[in-house]
Amino acid sequence: MTTTEVAERIEVDAPVPEQEAGGRSANLTANLIQLVRKPGFLLAALYVVFVLVSAFWPRLFTSRDPYGTDPKSAMLSPSIDHLFGTDVYGRDLWSRVLYGSPLTIKATLIALGIALVAGLTLGVVSGFFAGVTDAILMRVVDVLLAIPGLLLALAIVTALGYGTIPVAVAVGVGIVPGFARTTRAEVLRVRTLPYVEAARAGGASWGRVLVRHILPNSWGPVAVLAVLDAGVAIIAIASLSFLGFGAAPPAAEWGTLIADGRNYLVTSWWLSLMPGLFVALLVLSLNHISKTLQELSR
Amino acid sequence: MRIFRPITAALSAAALLALAACGGGSSGSDEASGTPKSGGTLKVSFWPDNANFSCVDPFQVYWIEHRTIARNFADSLTDQDPETGKIVPWLAEKWEVSADGLAYTFHLKDGVTFSNGTPVDAQAVADDVAGWIATVKATNGAAYGASYIQGLSGAKVVDPKTVVLQLTKPNSSFLQATSTTNLAITDPAEFQLTPAQRCLGKGVIGSGLFVLDHYTPKVETVLTKRAGYNWGSELSTNRAEARLDKVIFNYVAEDSVRTGNLVSGAIDIAWPRNPFTPQDQKLIEKSGDTIQKRALPGVAYTLFANTTAGHPLSDPQVRKAFYKAIDVKTYSSTIFGADYPVVQSVFNSTTPYFKSESAKITFDPAAAKQILDAAGWTVGADGYRAKDGKVLSIDYPSALPIPGGELLQSQAKDVGIKLDLRPLTTAQSATYLTEGSYDLTSTYFTRADPGALQFIINPDVANSKALAQRVASPAETTQIQALFAKAIQTTDEKQAAQAYADLQDYLIDNAITFPLFERLQNAGISDKVHGFAFTSESFLKLNDVWKQ
Amino acid sequence: MTRYVAGRIAQALVVLWAAYTLTFAILYLLPSDPMQLQLAAAGVQEDSLTPDQVAAMKAEFGLDQSIWTQYWHHLGGALHGDFGISLTQRVPVTEMIGERIGPTLVLSASAAIVALVAGSALAYLATFVRWSLLRILFSRLPAVGASFPQFFVALFLIQFFSFQLGWFPATGSEGASSLVMPVITISVLASSVLAQVLIKSFDETLRQPYITTARAKGLSRSAVHLRHAFRNAALPAMTILGVIVGVTVTSSIVVETVFTREGVGRLAQEAVLSQDVPVVLAVVTIAASVFVLVNLIVDLIYPLLDPRISHTRGKVRAPAPAPALEGGTL
Repeated sequence: MTTTEVAERIEVDAPVPEQEAGGRSANLTANLIQLVRKPGFLLAALYVVFVLVSAFWPRLFTSRDPYGTDPKSAMLSPSIDHLFGTDVYGRDLWSRVLYGSPLTIKATLIALGIALVAGLTLGVVSGFFAGVTDAILMRVVDVLLAIPGLLLALAIVTALGYGTIPVAVAVGVGIVPGFARTTRAEVLRVRTLPYVEAARAGGASWGRVLVRHILPNSWGPVAVLAVLDAGVAIIAIASLSFLGFGAAPPAAEWGTLIADGRNYLVTSWWLSLMPGLFVALLVLSLNHISKTLQELSR
Repeated sequence: MRIFRPITAALSAAALLALAACGGGSSGSDEASGTPKSGGTLKVSFWPDNANFSCVDPFQVYWIEHRTIARNFADSLTDQDPETGKIVPWLAEKWEVSADGLAYTFHLKDGVTFSNGTPVDAQAVADDVAGWIATVKATNGAAYGASYIQGLSGAKVVDPKTVVLQLTKPNSSFLQATSTTNLAITDPAEFQLTPAQRCLGKGVIGSGLFVLDHYTPKVETVLTKRAGYNWGSELSTNRAEARLDKVIFNYVAEDSVRTGNLVSGAIDIAWPRNPFTPQDQKLIEKSGDTIQKRALPGVAYTLFANTTAGHPLSDPQVRKAFYKAIDVKTYSSTIFGADYPVVQSVFNSTTPYFKSESAKITFDPAAAKQILDAAGWTVGADGYRAKDGKVLSIDYPSALPIPGGELLQSQAKDVGIKLDLRPLTTAQSATYLTEGSYDLTSTYFTRADPGALQFIINPDVANSKALAQRVASPAETTQIQALFAKAIQTTDEKQAAQAYADLQDYLIDNAITFPLFERLQNAGISDKVHGFAFTSESFLKLNDVWKQ
Repeated sequence: MTRYVAGRIAQALVVLWAAYTLTFAILYLLPSDPMQLQLAAAGVQEDSLTPDQVAAMKAEFGLDQSIWTQYWHHLGGALHGDFGISLTQRVPVTEMIGERIGPTLVLSASAAIVALVAGSALAYLATFVRWSLLRILFSRLPAVGASFPQFFVALFLIQFFSFQLGWFPATGSEGASSLVMPVITISVLASSVLAQVLIKSFDETLRQPYITTARAKGLSRSAVHLRHAFRNAALPAMTILGVIVGVTVTSSIVVETVFTREGVGRLAQEAVLSQDVPVVLAVVTIAASVFVLVNLIVDLIYPLLDPRISHTRGKVRAPAPAPALEGGTL
């Protein structure tokens, strides 16, 4: 028996992916059953699913044109015909919210994508290599944290111009530090677990250990954070749209819709309130889902 | 707060009717509400301060709100009656214009002083004239006052009370210019400071019934009462000291907050740039406060095209179709309410020599479609027209929200034109005109003289040469310049009227200007405020204002 | 210990410098011509100038120098507290900020204090109240507070308390009453963030063996909570003090805009939009300094308060990094 064979055997002795997967899927089923028993979680999940479905198939939930103006039926208060009422040009607000969903969801996904890629890379590299690399990267994160996020986002938006994508990029950059820190903490934790050390001792390359052991095991808390930060991103995107940097009209992100209604706050409160509640409910649902997942993982 | 007060509501309804009847004359002062009281602070809310150019110096400022402020701390040689357009004495008791129209002799009132005690004499006026000319030079013509002193070459002191202003060529609107806020007389010592310093209010001292206390850009401007003032023009009932002790102007970003502040009694006057929405009007009237309206004289809210080759609006057919695609009537009633006047010409209806073109400004989508079909623009699958693979899209950038922009967009879409509303950063807004990166832009100009339009579309004198050069083809521009020359360089009323009428026809016939809405200055007035009045430029006049 | 302190201070300074440089880089990489901005601020179109005049104006603002020269010039000035002249208003930036920083400091400090009190109280109730329904309500409240965009909260506070009830002024910075709604708006978010972290920390502390021991010793529930759990749980929460300060500073941008308050937040937003580089640099530097300073103080005090951190061999371990942010902050 050569040393390499020993190494291989040791590696096999470490929890192999298949076993791990089997254990996980069993866990998952148990978790799922537990989750379904929680009515709060179920409601939150259903609402998120509804928002997603209505974003891609708005026609299932509304038959009205979100862009066609009809001054005669302007400023109607919410009713069965117009769930969220109509805006100053007589457009149905409910269908404008639904047709506005893909834009906001797209922006949120871009922001999360940036945060995930950059945050994960920073966090993994930092946590994995430790030492000087870690110190330097964490200072970079400190610098990003030291500049007020909204200011940084404003500067980025002015640099890139207005629109959904620049706003998404700005928001994404703003939530990178959180991801980097969480990932780093997880990597640091997983790194010291016995089987990882065993795999390393067995001669597995850093890259292999990283991909096969560290990433899959650090993923949980990062995913929880991602769900939570989806909410943060939605609010940040809405805030930037409120300040006037969002999509060009007549397309409307949720933030733009809330912002547009603010000039009629005293007379037609629903123009701001309804889209505002729609968004807040979504953020709350994401927050709740994230929290429930977090509690489960303990 | 929500109690309906039938008497005041009826009053304001009557005021509205009167307005509709006279096409937006001044609603005058309502002295009927008891004996005027002295004292108190008036709080006025404007919309946000100018982001690019913070300025309260009367000669340099173009921002309407700040000209309103200037009116109340600096007096002019003459005043203009908002009802008749007549020029009446103010700092000058009387004046003579030479037969060739090149010399204006002003005889100044006795005993007038600036708020620092310096007398307002012939020397001060002459030094002001020199200062204006120097400022125009120092700012490369950017100072707004430049448009009021076309041809002014200097001034000669005859005696301490008599000064002669000299022109190199006749300027039929010069006398009116001396009544404007931009040519208000200030202590000439200010001209020792740089234009930028003066803009922030440093050294700016007038002879008005208030004194400029301080100006904090984007935050507030405060005026305090000038003791001993007694030289108001005959257009004010109260020609002596102001009734108010102090006036605070602040800048509120949200329309709803401005209106809400008025209705809840936190401020006394809400002074929006664009007219109140029908919803806000209802709210204000329901709370017992009133709305005063007056059409601002000068150029209406008008769209101007970029007709450089390669831009879609360089094609006269597209411009004509665009004309017919816009429904100005629905636009006005939707955005500003059913009783809002519809724009009739490139000039607001209160401008001298105004001629109604409403027979030509008609909404006709069928005709628009026909013109575009004939010009080879065919409708694609998405509803937008295209020619040679290029979609008919019109780029309309703006740093400020365009009132009713999305309604315009939807009207354009109905005939297959894609109107892109592109929000700009403040920084971009400073350069897009020079770069020519636009198809459509909008602007206006407030002045009780139709000559105002040449500062937009005549490249020789325009405030933005970049805009003026692109508004029309060189041949059209020559024609426009000829008509302006004919109207301005004359003392013959009839010739001026004819030339301005021809000009208004020409601009509409050739689809060079796209008037969108008549600009009404709105003011929401608290029921505690009395004696409100507009000046001829539709600015706020505080001489008779008092607070309960 | 001295080495640790010196190291932390040096680190803070490096972070500050990097934040300054990063902001400078972003602003200078903007696709606009600073010259054009200058001219626009003065109301001049560049096409109406002769090349000589353009050169003269560039020299006046130092724009004819290379980016490096400008950078060193700005940095040198900043070290002496001189942030240059505002491009759009041509007033010393230090003067502009000096005029506006008072109201912002008052707003931020009040909001931070209210948030600390409200957040701690909420977290305490959420873990202490025995009635489980109420407990769940309290523990979910922070999530609700963090789910509404701040401008939305502000607008509806105005609508209700100013326009409907007329209790507080909707705009302005005069008097204590104008402070009420802006402080509420900021502290709704800031206290939610704080409460979420505290609740988590409490829950973990309550599971610690020494709590069980304390309970077993017969200490009353409230005594255990106050004496042990609260004290120990509050420690990790200290590390997010910097975050709370960050939230209040960031919030001032939106809040000062909606409530039309005079302050640095609004100045910052306007300066970014008009690309008034010196002003933005100054505001970012000041905001970053506050943030870095608070974190530095926390880092320096933390080891003194936490008995678990050993001082062996003269080495002190820095506290764990602040827990990842939860709730709507950016």
